[in-house]
Amino acid sequence: MRRMAIATRLSLLILACVTAIVVLVAGYAFESSRRTMVDMARENGALLAQSTAGRISAQLQATAKVTETVAATLEDADMRESDLRDLTRRILFSNPGIFGSAIAFEPHAFQAGRRFFAPFSFRQDSHVTSTTLGGADYNYFAMDWYQLAKELNQPIWTEPYFDEGGGRALMVTYSAPFARVTPRGLQLTGVVTADVNLDWLQRMIASIRVSDNGHVFLLSRYGAYIAHPDAGLIMNETIFTHAEELHHPSLRDLGTEMVSGRSGFIEFADFPGVGAAYVSFRPLPDEHWSLGVVLPKDELLAGVNRLTRVMAGIGLAGFAVLAGVVLLVSGSITRPLRILTSAAAGIAGGDLEQPMPFIAPGDEVGDLAASFERMRESLKKHIANLTETTAAKERIESELRIAHDIQMGILPKTFPPFPDRTELDVFASILPAREVGGDLYDFFFVDEHRFCFLVGDVSGKGVPAAFFMAVTKTLIKAVAEREPDPGRILARVNDELAADNDSCMFVTLFLAILDTRTGRLGYGNAGHPSPLLLRAGLPPERIAGMEEPMAGAMPDIDYSTGTLDLLPGDALFLSTDGVSEAMNPDLELYSDDRLLETVAGQARAGARDLVLAVSASVTAWAGDAEQSDDITMLAVRYLGPGPGRPSPS
Amino acid sequence: MDIQTRTVGTKALLTCTGRMDAVSAPRFESACAELLGQGCTTHVADLTGLEYISSAGLRSILAAGKRLKAAGGSLSFCGLSGMVDEVFRVSGFLKLFTIHPSADAALEG
Repeated sequence: MRRMAIATRLSLLILACVTAIVVLVAGYAFESSRRTMVDMARENGALLAQSTAGRISAQLQATAKVTETVAATLEDADMRESDLRDLTRRILFSNPGIFGSAIAFEPHAFQAGRRFFAPFSFRQDSHVTSTTLGGADYNYFAMDWYQLAKELNQPIWTEPYFDEGGGRALMVTYSAPFARVTPRGLQLTGVVTADVNLDWLQRMIASIRVSDNGHVFLLSRYGAYIAHPDAGLIMNETIFTHAEELHHPSLRDLGTEMVSGRSGFIEFADFPGVGAAYVSFRPLPDEHWSLGVVLPKDELLAGVNRLTRVMAGIGLAGFAVLAGVVLLVSGSITRPLRILTSAAAGIAGGDLEQPMPFIAPGDEVGDLAASFERMRESLKKHIANLTETTAAKERIESELRIAHDIQMGILPKTFPPFPDRTELDVFASILPAREVGGDLYDFFFVDEHRFCFLVGDVSGKGVPAAFFMAVTKTLIKAVAEREPDPGRILARVNDELAADNDSCMFVTLFLAILDTRTGRLGYGNAGHPSPLLLRAGLPPERIAGMEEPMAGAMPDIDYSTGTLDLLPGDALFLSTDGVSEAMNPDLELYSDDRLLETVAGQARAGARDLVLAVSASVTAWAGDAEQSDDITMLAVRYLGPGPGRPSPS
Repeated sequence: MDIQTRTVGTKALLTCTGRMDAVSAPRFESACAELLGQGCTTHVADLTGLEYISSAGLRSILAAGKRLKAAGGSLSFCGLSGMVDEVFRVSGFLKLFTIHPSADAALEG
């Protein structure tokens, strides 16, 4: 699979790192801000709870003080009924925070015979009304405000209650007992009360702004809601019944904490009516109340969330800008590479003409481009050279071919060569090797009756061999026409060739002259393989060698002349070593033995058939192997003296 | 073809082994030329180890022989056998060059 482009990979890597960093920074900022905000909320919640509790306590303490002072006054004062009523009225006049006040006596304690005696003043509309409590329908001895103070023998705050009789409002009453010395000792004589209308408290608490959705609530000693933004809960529910109703265990736990008089700070995942929130709470010890401040988490963390959102937004925008810049930069880094790649592809495709595109030097890509340009230049130069060389080589090869054709052209190729001569059957063939070689053969009548024929092999190959061969052939013909003796012909030819032959080229030659009238054959051999003699009825045999040197090597060599008498039907088979040294693909030589065998099989064949049979046999032997030397054969069969050439008329 | 040379005074023995063909023959010529440059004029080539000789080999031998003769020296042979002996015989080299029965005999003579 092809990998992503470098630019893409680089961009992805950088952007991934940047994203990680941004997320890390934003996450850290969010978390630490959140902690700070929560710490601040804890502090503010505690402060708010404290100050609110202080304000409530201050208000209630004043009432308690007044009540206790009045109780102390009553311990030894002997007052009349009207004085007591006035006292209650005075309490109201001087304490606007007190809604009503009663001085309730024990049965018969004020006056024998009066079971109930409790003068009571309370505010009604804008003035103070006085009455006396107690009677068959209102047995105040059974009331909390009376009974608790009496039984505990100390001032107490009652549980808040909804006053049906007097103010028709949520009330709480401070009751302080007073005693008098009687003959039976110090006896509890009655209870002084001050009723406080909790409307102000609710108003005050409602007026406390705790962010937008937060609130403050107040619980009584037993967990009843005294103040709460939901008016329906006030005096109707305790925090416990409320929790039960909502199946909210953590609310119940909060209630337990608050009722037991502890202060604290609790996180809520789901505070009723608010949602996620923190609750700070503290007790009002004198009243055994507890104040809770609910701080909605959302609003608390709104700033943090906004900050985080803004950071995320900035991060996102920055990311987009960075992505653009990175893509642009990495694109601009790899653009020269891409340009270079397509240019290199052009070179790879063989187009060396197109110069490399300009890429500013000074960096790695620039260096690479320069190297490519140098490569292209030298390739171009090299190819130009190569083309030139190849052209020259082709020209030379073509000239060599022509030389070869010329060389082959000078060999006689028309058979039968002398259609009107009945004494002879002659056939020759030359299978040239791929490389120009130096084999030659020739035959001609030197006079009316004497027939000269020869085979030769020039050492080496190529143009020098071809030249030497042509010179040799021409020379032999020229010499043979003036010199009847084969040995002397060879000696003359040798001298001519050896003169100024610094390159030491030489030619092996077998040359014979047959007198067609008698069948007498004279021959000379300059280092050439001896021909085969085929006599009628006998196996072919090699003529004994003369063991005399090849021609052209050294001057002044005497060559001897051998003689043979041919009978009609006898034949000579001349060849070069290209025949016996032809190799098959396994590099095995065709060999003399095989040659003798093949020739023996054609003992009676005509010259043409003999040569063609050997040629076919050698070709079959060589198979696919490349022919390394010319294969030259010449067969001459003596048919007996003929009638002679028809005399020219 | 491998050529090892040994000189005794102005005489040099060239021991040729392997094949002397168109590729390797020029080395025989250059070996002779080098020895001549060192003052050795009488060269004996021991061809006991030579398996094959082509016409190019013969040409090199002729060229070297000619050169030595011109310099007043000589080239002779020993250890002819098999195909090499046959080629020397057929090509008339036996008439052109002196052949010694052995290397020792050649160096003493």
